[in-house]
Amino acid sequence: MLVTWKYRPRNTLMQRLDPRARLIFFLCYLLSVFMFWDVRVLSGFLVITLLTVLSAKLSWKDTRQTWLLLGSFTTFYALITFITGRAGNNLYQTEHIIAVLQAPFVVLGWQPTVAISIEQVFLALSQFSRVSSIAAITLLIPYTFDPAMYGVTFRQLGLPDKLAFALDLTMRFVPSLGRDFAMTMDAQKARGYEMERRSGGLLGQVRKLTPLLVPVVIHSIISGEEITDAMDLRAFGTQPRTWLRRLSYARRDYIVIAVSLILLATSVAANLSGLGRFWAP
Amino acid sequence: MTIRVTNLSYHYRNQRERTLDGLSTEFKPGEVTLIAGASGCGKTTLIRCINGLIPRSYTGGELSGAIELFGQDTAALTLATISQIIGTVLQDPEKQIVASDVTSEIAFGLENLGLPRDEIRERIAHTAELLHISNLLTRETFLLSGGEKQKVALAGVLAMRPRAVLLDEPLASLDPASGREALALMRHLADAGIAVVIIEHRIEDVLAIHPEHCVYMSAGRITYDGDAAGLLQSVDWREIKLPASVVMQRVRAAGMAVPHRARSKSPEQVGSKSIIEYRQVGFGYADGPEVLHDINCAIRRGEIIALIGPNGAGKSTLLKHAIGLNRPVRGQVLVDGVDSAALTVAQLARAVGFVFQSPSHMLFAPTVREELAFGPRNIGLDAETIALNTDNALATVALTGTEDQPPLALSFGQQKRISIASILTMNPRIVIMDEPTAGQDYANYTHFMDDIVSHMRTDAESANAKPGFEALAFITHDLDLAITYANRIMLVADGRIVADGTPEEVLLDTARLERCRIHPTSLLEANLAALNKTTPSGMQSHRFMSAAELAFLA
Repeated sequence: MLVTWKYRPRNTLMQRLDPRARLIFFLCYLLSVFMFWDVRVLSGFLVITLLTVLSAKLSWKDTRQTWLLLGSFTTFYALITFITGRAGNNLYQTEHIIAVLQAPFVVLGWQPTVAISIEQVFLALSQFSRVSSIAAITLLIPYTFDPAMYGVTFRQLGLPDKLAFALDLTMRFVPSLGRDFAMTMDAQKARGYEMERRSGGLLGQVRKLTPLLVPVVIHSIISGEEITDAMDLRAFGTQPRTWLRRLSYARRDYIVIAVSLILLATSVAANLSGLGRFWAP
Repeated sequence: MTIRVTNLSYHYRNQRERTLDGLSTEFKPGEVTLIAGASGCGKTTLIRCINGLIPRSYTGGELSGAIELFGQDTAALTLATISQIIGTVLQDPEKQIVASDVTSEIAFGLENLGLPRDEIRERIAHTAELLHISNLLTRETFLLSGGEKQKVALAGVLAMRPRAVLLDEPLASLDPASGREALALMRHLADAGIAVVIIEHRIEDVLAIHPEHCVYMSAGRITYDGDAAGLLQSVDWREIKLPASVVMQRVRAAGMAVPHRARSKSPEQVGSKSIIEYRQVGFGYADGPEVLHDINCAIRRGEIIALIGPNGAGKSTLLKHAIGLNRPVRGQVLVDGVDSAALTVAQLARAVGFVFQSPSHMLFAPTVREELAFGPRNIGLDAETIALNTDNALATVALTGTEDQPPLALSFGQQKRISIASILTMNPRIVIMDEPTAGQDYANYTHFMDDIVSHMRTDAESANAKPGFEALAFITHDLDLAITYANRIMLVADGRIVADGTPEEVLLDTARLERCRIHPTSLLEANLAALNKTTPSGMQSHRFMSAAELAFLA
């Protein structure tokens, strides 16, 4: 059966909002962040993100692992950007070198050297702000979105019955996959399997993952069929369906939706008029 | 008006033989019907034909004959209509529950029928009250216990107000007390005028609610159709587990030779050196409360240990410490005298073989041979040893000859055996099995347990002379399995070992068993009644036996 994310009821503005309003805010915010490369604007978004995260009142105990993972991922990603300057080519033409770092050792006649430019520093900062904002806002969803509301939220956003319920199942499929993966991992560990011992090329790596991938995939297919049977047996999809829960907008929801749409419109307008592109002093 | 099945046959598209072959029977409102039979006899297929999944969801097979639901021919009905006449509770409630919380789960079918919200709410409240689960309505479904899940699955079906309920092995995943509660509910439903059809291996438990009608199926045919007393006399007691008194009486009457049964040793014969030792072990999941408290025990050579106790007592959690899949938060686990904290799971796997409950979480290889070689290769055994171990392991689980078949194409029972064989090939010193008999029929698991136990190495036999492991531990809800095979029983409840000792020491206190949600079986009663006859010469403690063996005591 499908498990759900670690949601808890909380008395916060975020969880009092109509889930549809939250979903609209989420999408508008995400798209708006995508419109900018200017670290001055992005740091503004980062501040809003942090305030939003704080307002969710998640306990550190519940979410510690998630944030640590997020922190290490975004830092790593920014570092890669910093060292390689990847993605910079399209954003800036000239570079101003401020320092050249040389490794104090030589490997096979090659001395690793990194030239640091102002542009690289600011590209890394922008990248960090963008990725952190997007990831942190996204990660709030599983913790603050009542799983019982998934289906009806999509339905009342205008999707048809079947699609809305399919999305409901999909939302819960991800944590279920995680659980199956953990169980398979344990079962294979008990047979002496060690993830760390992977070696060989890409193909070799994939081959060594088959003891994990095959059972998880097979399990997903089987449980998919089981869910289909269980739904068929209770007359799913035979006629238009009633949704027991009903969502209705309150005034605060209209405000949130209006703000979200204005934010998106402003961001798109700024982007079209050439504002908010990459910036370095 | 009844459910009438007339000359029903079904042939799955990809199977050689017909799965159902000319069945005719009738299920009446107000009656409990028990359908029994070995795995693969066609019980589940019969259910699928009655509830309409065949031919509506399972297409491409050949269906003939007729099914009439209270006067209506099913062929003309839609699934939506059938689902309001017949409710089906699938084998595993985990497979049935589609919603994330209990209210949505009970509402699901009613929503699909497009009923008005007020009526849905009223029916949810009424059904929840009927099943005494009103307190669960706001809970998330995946956090429920096994027994609660089943009641919720049943509620989702009953809310649709069916006139008949089909249950496919409803007891399989329940501890004995939850199973009894579920059955009492079935009786109640039948008395209220619903036709209740229960497919079940655990005949003895179902007989407790006095089914009016019993059907026995074999190879797609009905071989018995009548009352309970007749069933007990007509079916083979080796095929399906009958109450101990019936088996004893029938074995005596037939005067047949005592079947050879692999024997566990008497507790006195157990070695003294411990393979695994728990010292003051306490455990809790990250940030959660402690779930195991003060576990102190040692597993020694020659022991066959059964862990029994209610769902969620911590049995699996306890045994997973032996191989490092759980690590103690307090205390130590020693494996061969060495603190396991410093060893990885892969290192511990050389000494400790752990078989998970569900084979589908581990089988992956294209052939059985490769599946069995995976473990030993990981721990660095050489090719010659692996080949030898593979032959031995397949012989132990009676699957010699399947080497080149894909394990995923085998039947569930065979997959289960392959998953055990794939641990045996690693030559562990101790084998641990989580619910080894779940999902297998009686004849199947009796053979298999006999084989496993007979491959255990005794003190006198050196590792070179005979392959095999030195100790066995298994988790089970089946008290009779523990009685028949174990020489030591651990009763676990609420994260503690409540009792630990010889079967006699642990099982004599039936009040304590009841407190731990285990109901004494007829086999336990028969053994307790025969205690003065079952002491092997020169031994202090009594030996517990199967019903067939008890039959031949002087």
